[in-house]
Amino acid sequence: MTPAKITAANEMNRSEFNDREVDTLIRRARPAIRRAMRRLKRPEARVGVIASPLGRLLVTEGPRGIANVHFLWSKSADRPLEMLRHRFDLIENENWRAALERELGRYFHGDCSVLDRRVDLTLVESEFQRRALGHLRSIPNGAVTTYQGLAAALGYPDAQRAIGNTMASNPVPLFVPCHRVIRSDGTIGNYGGGVDRKLMLLRGEGFRLKRDLKVPAEAVLGHRKTRIYCRPQCSAARRANPVNALIFADPAHARGAGLRACKLCNPG
Amino acid sequence: MADTEKVRIPPPFEEAMKSLEREIMRFILRSTADREDSLDLFQETWLRAYRAYPSLRSADGLRPWVFSIAANLCRNRARDRARRARVIAGGGLEGDIAERIHLSAGGSPDGMIGLKRDLQNLPGKQGRALRMRKIEGLEYTEIATALDCSAESARASVYQAMKKLKASR
Repeated sequence: MTPAKITAANEMNRSEFNDREVDTLIRRARPAIRRAMRRLKRPEARVGVIASPLGRLLVTEGPRGIANVHFLWSKSADRPLEMLRHRFDLIENENWRAALERELGRYFHGDCSVLDRRVDLTLVESEFQRRALGHLRSIPNGAVTTYQGLAAALGYPDAQRAIGNTMASNPVPLFVPCHRVIRSDGTIGNYGGGVDRKLMLLRGEGFRLKRDLKVPAEAVLGHRKTRIYCRPQCSAARRANPVNALIFADPAHARGAGLRACKLCNPG
Repeated sequence: MADTEKVRIPPPFEEAMKSLEREIMRFILRSTADREDSLDLFQETWLRAYRAYPSLRSADGLRPWVFSIAANLCRNRARDRARRARVIAGGGLEGDIAERIHLSAGGSPDGMIGLKRDLQNLPGKQGRALRMRKIEGLEYTEIATALDCSAESARASVYQAMKKLKASR
């Protein structure tokens, strides 16, 4: 339809029911809509694309915290956006986006306190997964656990595959540090954003990983209950319950987490 | 892979609907010719559109999509009314379209009565397509989305409706 015809059609529309009459009816309809919307309204969430050294991230923060971080380099944003829009009314907010980008910039310069922001795990499907991701948040900066160790810590020592699936479907990577879970053989394992990114994150947190992607020789084993860290070869470390064991990048990180050196092996 | 892809986040629903409110209300008013029904149907259209909004990929398709919701609700309401054998205060919409078609063709006032009746007797899809095209000024592609058919089919419906009206005169 040509613009002239559209204008003619609009003219006819106006003459038929004038704007004032239509506006009056819309105003009359509003209170009922408002009442109904109180029941239906989805919570509002801020959303924005953040540039980071890892690549672009689509981040969503709901009223209860960060609800989703999506790696834009690995998959299209269409599906996560549709899923998020069913849960939240998404609002683009430039001030919030810029502030979060600055904060994440601090993380990539070594300030891990940024990741302590509140997270909203409502997008997580099962209770087991929620528990696993909740437990992950207690792993300090500069430390990793194993899939098996995490499964054992949740009371399911044979559920390492389920833990792997949980990490793969983690809706809030970075803020729930699934990159801090590695394989029991010491290799770093896979990552939703790509092994290169996991390597980059772990190196940024103090692990001097080489090409073989194995945990380096200077790494020490820490025990959360006894608050002691040892060399991996120490007899005390071998006797320790793996449920509470963590692998620290080096003695300095273990001391930073409040642990003391073992008096048997004297790891430094 | 998709790192350079532009992420298009649709605007919030209320913001997107603001520019369409008047059009939708007018469309419903014309379709029902009843102010109280229009209020009900406008509210229902709003709420249904809000519930289903997350499934709409892009805000570009919002206009025909909301029109299709409104058109479906109006049709259901008319069916419901007919089933209950209620008398609908009628003639408003058909009268207006009839007047436009009639006067643009330079017809006499006597011919209007017949034309109104003919408009009411048009099959549902043709009548709705004619209303969207002649009154709302929708594109054929938008009518096609609203009526869930192809653009060719929408064009054919409008053509057939006009042909029937002309033949009946």
